[in-house]
Amino acid sequence: MDKHKKNISFIAISAVIGFMIAIQFQTVKKPVERDTRDLWQLREAVLQEKELQSELLSEIRSIEEKLLAYESKQKRSKEQALLDTIQELKIEAGMTKVTAPGLILRIEPILEEIQVGAEISTSVSPELLKRLLNELNMYNAKYVSVDGQRIINTTVIRDINNETKIDGHALSRLPIEVIVAVDHIDTAEKLYNQMKASKATEEFFIENLKLTVSEPNPEISIPAYDNPIRIRYLESLKANEGGNT
Amino acid sequence: MWLPLLGLIVGIFLGLLTDIRIPEEYSNYLSIAVLAALDTLFGGIRAHMQNIYDEKVFVSGFFFNILLAASLAFLGVHLGVDLYLAAVFAFGVRLFQNIAVIRRILLTKWSTNKNKN
Repeated sequence: MDKHKKNISFIAISAVIGFMIAIQFQTVKKPVERDTRDLWQLREAVLQEKELQSELLSEIRSIEEKLLAYESKQKRSKEQALLDTIQELKIEAGMTKVTAPGLILRIEPILEEIQVGAEISTSVSPELLKRLLNELNMYNAKYVSVDGQRIINTTVIRDINNETKIDGHALSRLPIEVIVAVDHIDTAEKLYNQMKASKATEEFFIENLKLTVSEPNPEISIPAYDNPIRIRYLESLKANEGGNT
Repeated sequence: MWLPLLGLIVGIFLGLLTDIRIPEEYSNYLSIAVLAALDTLFGGIRAHMQNIYDEKVFVSGFFFNILLAASLAFLGVHLGVDLYLAAVFAFGVRLFQNIAVIRRILLTKWSTNKNKN
């Protein structure tokens, strides 16, 4: 009996030791992750990080400026500082009318087809429109409206009963206008050139539509977003949540 | 006395199967705990061979040595002195001594068996 007990404790303790050794072994011997990126991939990664860095820096700067403004305004007028912030946020969310340099893209049916008398396309497919908007965003378009509907971050473009709708509003019949505005006339010029060189025109042509890009206009106005913005899944972050990134 | 070896193999097998990893900063503590545990194990084997084995001494020695070694290492980290070296030294020396004693006992047993034959 005593010997049996002795054996059990020996086995148990040596099993624990073995377990510990195995864990230690696994901890120390980590698989070596090899970096297989070549020079250009590395350069791209560096570029991305640098862009991120500069973005973050500018964000920090703007926030610091705001902080400074709050501090200096606090004594004089807390209300004004808050109103300014609300206004700023409204502009950012697209709830204000914007007048800025920009250009107008016209989407219309192809003229040749009208003459032939074939069935002409009467609407733009949501996919095409999304593609165009993505492209515009890629070229730094700041404020966009399609057929008088302001496009904001939460805008949905979809097909409901064979009608393309933007945030629930149906697009009117062709031709429709896509108004794009940016912050500076130089950017507008750049956007114009990029749009002229882009494939969007061909993509519209495949769907029997013609996309015309107007010359940059120094003063162009974009309507405000007129629906209420509903926030369903967003919650305010508490100070001790969400990590520090 | 193949039981410890069997237990060791079972333990290693289990450990490798579960794929547990501890944070790197604690691996120091674990390594010193392993050393302490090995020391206890060999001490136990030696005591068993010398017929002075005591279950309580063995089991309590196992846990106590591990705790002592880990807390010594912990204290060392916080004092900025490599105190775990003391534990490594002490356990290392004892490990060698125990193994030497075990070897001698085995040698004596072997030679007496040979003489008998």
